[in-house]
Amino acid sequence: MTRLSLFCTCLLTAAAVALTPVLAGPPDEPRIINLPELEKSVGKKGGSIDILMGKSKDIRMMTVYSGARLVAYDQTFQLQPDLLKSINIDSNKSFTLHLRKGHKWSDGTPFTTEDFRYWWEDVANNETLEKSGVPQQMLSNGKPPVVDIIDSHTIRYTWEEVNPLFLTALAGARPLYIYMPAHYMKQYHEKYADPAKLTALIESEKVQNWASLHKRFGRQYRPENPKLPTLQAWMNTTKLPSERIVFKANPNFHRIDNEGTQLPYLDQVIMNIVSSEIIPAKTGTGESALQARYVRFDNYAFLKQGAEAGGYKVLLWPSGKGSEMTLIPNMNSADEGFRNAFQDKRVRRALSLGINRTEINETIFFGLAREGGNSVLPSSPLYKDEFADAWAMHNVDKANALLDEAGFDKRTSDGTRLMPDGREFEIIIETAGEQSQETDILQLITDHWKSIGVKLFVKPSQRDILRRRVSSGETVMSTWEGLNRGLATPDMNPEELAPVSSVQAQWPVWGLHFESKGSGGEAPTDEKVKRLSELYSKWRAAGDRDQQTLIWEEMLSIFTDEVYTIGVVSGGLQPIVVSNKLRNVPEEGIWAFEPTLYFGHYLPDTFWLEE
Amino acid sequence: MSKKPNQTGGVDTHSPLPADGAEKLHHYVSTAPFDLRSVEKLTPEQEKIYFASQLTLMWWKFKRHRVAVWSGIFLLLLYASVLFSEFLSPWNYQTRHSKYIYVPPQSIHLFHEGEFQGPFVYGLSRKLNLETMTRDYTVNTKQIVKLSFFCNGDSYHWMGLIPGNNHLVCAPTGKPFFLLGTDRLGRDMLSRIIQGARISLTIGLLGIAVSFLLGIVIGGAAGYYGGWVDMIVQRIIEVLQSIPTIPLWLTLSAIMPASWSPIVIYFGITIILGLLDWTGLARAVRSKLLSLREEEYVLAARLIGASPSRIIGRHLIPGFMSHLIASATITIPTMILGETALSFLGLGLREPITSWGVLLNEAQSINVVAVFPWLMLPVVPVIFVIIAFNFLGDGLRDAADPYK
Repeated sequence: MTRLSLFCTCLLTAAAVALTPVLAGPPDEPRIINLPELEKSVGKKGGSIDILMGKSKDIRMMTVYSGARLVAYDQTFQLQPDLLKSINIDSNKSFTLHLRKGHKWSDGTPFTTEDFRYWWEDVANNETLEKSGVPQQMLSNGKPPVVDIIDSHTIRYTWEEVNPLFLTALAGARPLYIYMPAHYMKQYHEKYADPAKLTALIESEKVQNWASLHKRFGRQYRPENPKLPTLQAWMNTTKLPSERIVFKANPNFHRIDNEGTQLPYLDQVIMNIVSSEIIPAKTGTGESALQARYVRFDNYAFLKQGAEAGGYKVLLWPSGKGSEMTLIPNMNSADEGFRNAFQDKRVRRALSLGINRTEINETIFFGLAREGGNSVLPSSPLYKDEFADAWAMHNVDKANALLDEAGFDKRTSDGTRLMPDGREFEIIIETAGEQSQETDILQLITDHWKSIGVKLFVKPSQRDILRRRVSSGETVMSTWEGLNRGLATPDMNPEELAPVSSVQAQWPVWGLHFESKGSGGEAPTDEKVKRLSELYSKWRAAGDRDQQTLIWEEMLSIFTDEVYTIGVVSGGLQPIVVSNKLRNVPEEGIWAFEPTLYFGHYLPDTFWLEE
Repeated sequence: MSKKPNQTGGVDTHSPLPADGAEKLHHYVSTAPFDLRSVEKLTPEQEKIYFASQLTLMWWKFKRHRVAVWSGIFLLLLYASVLFSEFLSPWNYQTRHSKYIYVPPQSIHLFHEGEFQGPFVYGLSRKLNLETMTRDYTVNTKQIVKLSFFCNGDSYHWMGLIPGNNHLVCAPTGKPFFLLGTDRLGRDMLSRIIQGARISLTIGLLGIAVSFLLGIVIGGAAGYYGGWVDMIVQRIIEVLQSIPTIPLWLTLSAIMPASWSPIVIYFGITIILGLLDWTGLARAVRSKLLSLREEEYVLAARLIGASPSRIIGRHLIPGFMSHLIASATITIPTMILGETALSFLGLGLREPITSWGVLLNEAQSINVVAVFPWLMLPVVPVIFVIIAFNFLGDGLRDAADPYK
């Protein structure tokens, strides 16, 4: 019975994507999810759920939620093969990847090492497509790997030196894609496509060259192209732009449950794009079967009120971010006065000491969060009290003493400190302006900082504009979320602690220097930042876990003691709204982009609808 | 038609004029005192009416419009409160009571267990409800928080200048007394609404002053001179009116830097509102002037040698003052709504300054509607003020209209 209906759906779906009907189904060697072991129930196939999103860009959340990666973190945060059948690792230098026999893309074409070869030879090493060269994570000590294709289902990557980044990058929430559906992408590749057809396509799509074409139709993380074959649990069937994006179950998904039913259980996931402000209201009337994004802790009471009528329950998962909100002084600000001020650790520490975190916790977080700086969370193996508590106690006297010492000892008649260059110490903090929670916290901090003679003004902005302003140094201080990897393990990438990217708001110019391999930006001048940079390189070359642990600890110690980012509280709670009909959503979880991929870690392909 | 057309034809023998062909009369001026009242005797009541000044007449007519009178009194009281906002509010509007977050409105009692106690509120006990993540407040009838009048409470700076701590009514420090409840940071809503009135009400007056000045001067010039002056002014007005208001407000308010003090931003917003609002008024002034300048009394004034500004100011504008008054009273609420709209969108005034718009901006979430409805209370004064202004304008226009 199940067999038959399964067969029918597959045929239907295959027909829907208008391809030659191939016998669809899981690989011959599927990944078996043992549901009882995960304390989940065996479900029934079928059904459709609605979820809500605020922007069409959020289509990428399906890739995150779906959670199929070459390797993925298991329940104890150890890396396990997922799309891969197995992987052989030789001292973090050589990785042999074994694919599953009979594994197919969503359109029915076999998933083989050709897809890996195509990406490596024709995409990553193609100068037109990847101008900046092979991705960082594929380099070890600046050198790319040797790629051996052993057979159609085995491929080996070998580096001269260790590359600890490789596997974590493959398991990332925004993973490193080292494969591409070659059979589909070749029609957009100069090397394989019929030149006449390609020119015609370039013209009809109004793009500059074939590379843009290839990029536009080949986005795997953001599945905007409904024709692009995928390996994820659900595939997009709607051409954008659209307010209603329909995802259908991938008939060739590689996981099955312990009774042999192919996953995902849910036939359809419909993503409705609505204005983010009304998402809590819509969720409260039961219009979303599974909602966490755009729903905040302060909506909890409202959501709880509507739970019975809306037919849903509200769970609370602790957030996995290092801090709910951080104030980030820009050490590379274009304003010399602020640049000098924020490069002085005494100022950064004083600003952190001047915040009364207890009041913020009581007022905004119901006293349920943990007061402390931006660091890893207590459930991370790297956690130490001294990291989270560094310079996080409210101590006005000490803060005042530090500021006096740093040369901010003169004051105006109303008590505002003067900067050494004679201006009043007025900080304009820019926020992405998305959450009223941020504004409330800043309001409290404005009052707290008055007692240390620092004036704070809040300027709401917009996320992309803010990023640009930070990078160009126009912003002196900004607010962002804390460390994404609040649940870090030693083998996770410590990049957030070191100057590696121009989007890091505390040192965009130093980050750019690293990112551009020295051609842009400036080299760090601060000794401790240099040390972080050094440690990061050391981690990249570290061979074993003990060494990685030591490096992580030193980096955390510097990062928190120097207070590059001023965290407020950590462990805020995220409401998770789950329809009463939807099964297998765990009561307890952690809400984080990495390493838990929001829902991805909790296997949404095993969620099912009870009639 | 009972009147005969030839009544003045000279046939009438009682006419004081000499008969045709009679001798010429001598030029003669009577020296007897002439008293108008001797011709037609007026009763004291009639005298009151016939010899009343224009203002008095307007006042009488206005008084007959009951609703307008009450609206006027209501507005006068509100504007008077603006002078003493700090004194009238029970707390400083910025004081946060972190133990009393989201307290629902309390009520004032006089009797406790049948015994007269004077005005008091009951204390509150708070329980954190971890089921719904709300703070549940229950009225603690054992605890009586007595209210005192003309007391010393939270300190403030009156109008931002003179320090003081006198309040009309207050509760002991640390005790709950929130007649309209508190917001998410534990600030008293009543105090915030009272202090918000200062900004919201005066922004209309200041804005209207700017827009009136511009409207009368520019519209007056266009209407009086006509010709190319009029042409240019009309084109400018058309351009200004064709720009959608909200985006224009947005742009102008985005120009104002974040480090400006709230009070400067307040003036900036007033001027923005005024600068955009004068066009309608200028048009009205112009069209009235275009018709009035053709009147004989204007010609007479010009012949005597009056300057254009005197003619406009002394002879023309009083002619349509009623229209100006009406549009002023109707524009003030538009200004108040303009400020409210801007602040509601988060582009007008910002914390820590408070206005009704700022308060409503904070109330625009689903949580407020469903869980904390008292945070929407600032809507009430906005509605009442707007309605009152409209009634008042109506009454004033009726009273001042010379064409009725």
